[in-house]
Formats: sequence, structure tokens, C-alpha cells
Amino acid sequence: MEIDLSLVGSFSEPFEVEVEKCEIRKFAMAIGDRNPLYFDEAYARGKGYAGLLAPPTYPTCFRPPLVPVWMRGLDQRRIVAGQMAFTYEKPITAGMRLTCRMHFAGVDDKQGAKGRMQIIRQALQGHDKTGELVFVAARNTVYRSLEQVERRSLA
Amino acid sequence: MSMNPAGLRPGDTFVLTVDPVTTTQLVQYAGASGDYNRIHYDLPYAEEAGLGGVIAHGMLTMAFMGRALTDWAGHDATVKHISAKFTSPVRPGDSVEVRGVVTETQPGGTGQAKCDLSAHVGERTVAVGDAVVSWRV
Repeated sequence: MEIDLSLVGSFSEPFEVEVEKCEIRKFAMAIGDRNPLYFDEAYARGKGYAGLLAPPTYPTCFRPPLVPVWMRGLDQRRIVAGQMAFTYEKPITAGMRLTCRMHFAGVDDKQGAKGRMQIIRQALQGHDKTGELVFVAARNTVYRSLEQVERRSLA
Repeated sequence: MSMNPAGLRPGDTFVLTVDPVTTTQLVQYAGASGDYNRIHYDLPYAEEAGLGGVIAHGMLTMAFMGRALTDWAGHDATVKHISAKFTSPVRPGDSVEVRGVVTETQPGGTGQAKCDLSAHVGERTVAVGDAVVSWRV
């Protein structure tokens, strides 16, 4: 299935994320990072945080309950990670309740060395309960063409 | 763990070598992050997708870059920004080495630093990016 370009500019429904201690620890374990700021609450508080700190790539866990409409039906085999950027206004800590919204920013066409591909640009924004922006996670996803899948080419 | 940001200069470097990625870790990361794309753990599926086997989540490589950054910057630093562009796949058995270089510091050295980051498997560059860290005064 191809990308519906008429959806560029739209936002996902807002969804709530509760940042939980055990989820932060599980994520830190998976990436092999034993930083005490991610495991030891008293230590994190001693460093001035409101609770356990989340690792810098943690908002990748914040997924809308429903796949955003513009990503629905796309061929998972054709999707590979392209580029990601996290920008923080405040650190994310356990106990925070964030309201997140995904923005479909655009699609770029690109000619790779071994075929055509598209770059899907999305940005996840997270606001805290006071309405202040906490983070933006900008994600560029590569949507490989079918010819790339058939030619067994990543790029 | 702490470091003295006042002594930082552009051109300063840091390195982190991560244990080889395992398929178990990819399953663990899929669970922890919620990214269940089968190209990361289902071999026949990944082969059918033309990937020549399972590949690691790009975001796992980026997590290693974040870890290199925070290990180096210490527990008094906060990450204001981190980016990564994935240039080549990482596979089970690959050991990722993250290299960082300071590109900009603030006068007095107590504020912020910008760094370039890159991740490598042997001779191959698997990701490049940059970061901004801030030390709270």
C-alpha cells in the first residue's frame, strides 16, 4: 500500500502517557544501561530530579493506542528507521503524565543508490499537565519501494 | 560520577564500546520499546523483506549513542537534544562502538556543550548524529 499524501499536516488524536518506574527500568535494562539515575529513585532525587529519570531515547516508547491513520496499512517489510531527534524542554521523570500528539509533517521522495524510496516525516510532541511542552521527538522513517524489497536492498 | 565541564574544549573525544547485540536483546528491546516489527527478530520474515537476516532496531543503536553521551557527561548533565541518522544495519553479533567529539562549548564551561556522535561496527559507520548536553549549575 502507498502513502496517502492527502493526510500530510494532520495530527493523531491526543493520547495520555503515564511515565512509570518499572517501564523506565525495563527500557534501561534492554539497552544495557545501568545508569543509577534510571534505577535508583533516591539517587535521582539527590541529583534534583522529581523521580527516576528516563533515558534520552525513552519517548520512542510513547506509541499512540491506534496506529496514526497515515501509517495504517503500510507494508511493515518496507519500513526502516531513517532519522530520529529528541529535543527536551524538561527532563522526563517517573510519575509524569504527558499528553502526546503525533504530527504528520510530510513526505519526501528520494532516489537511493539501489532504488526509489520515500521519507515519512513525523513529530511526536509531549506536554505535561500544566500544558508546557516537555519534548519533541522528530522521526523520519524510510518507506522503501517494492523494487527495493525485491532487490534485497536496504537503501 | 561527575566531570568538570569547565575543563572541556572543542575537539575533546569520548568512546564507548558496547557488548555485542544479541537476538535476545532485540526481543527484550522490542518488548521494552513496543516496536514489534518482525524484521528485528523473525528470521524468515526478515529474509523475505530482503534484509538478509534480522537487523537491530535503529533506536537501539541510538540508545547506545545516548548511553555513550551520558556516561561521558556524568550524572550532573542533562541531555537537551540528541539526533541520529541510521546509515547501515546492525545485526546480532555486532559490537557497536560509539565515538563522540565536542564541537562547541560555552565560555566558562559550566553551561552547555555540543557534540558530534557516530556509531561504528568495525570499519562500517552505522549511525551519525549530534547532541547538546547541559550541566546544571
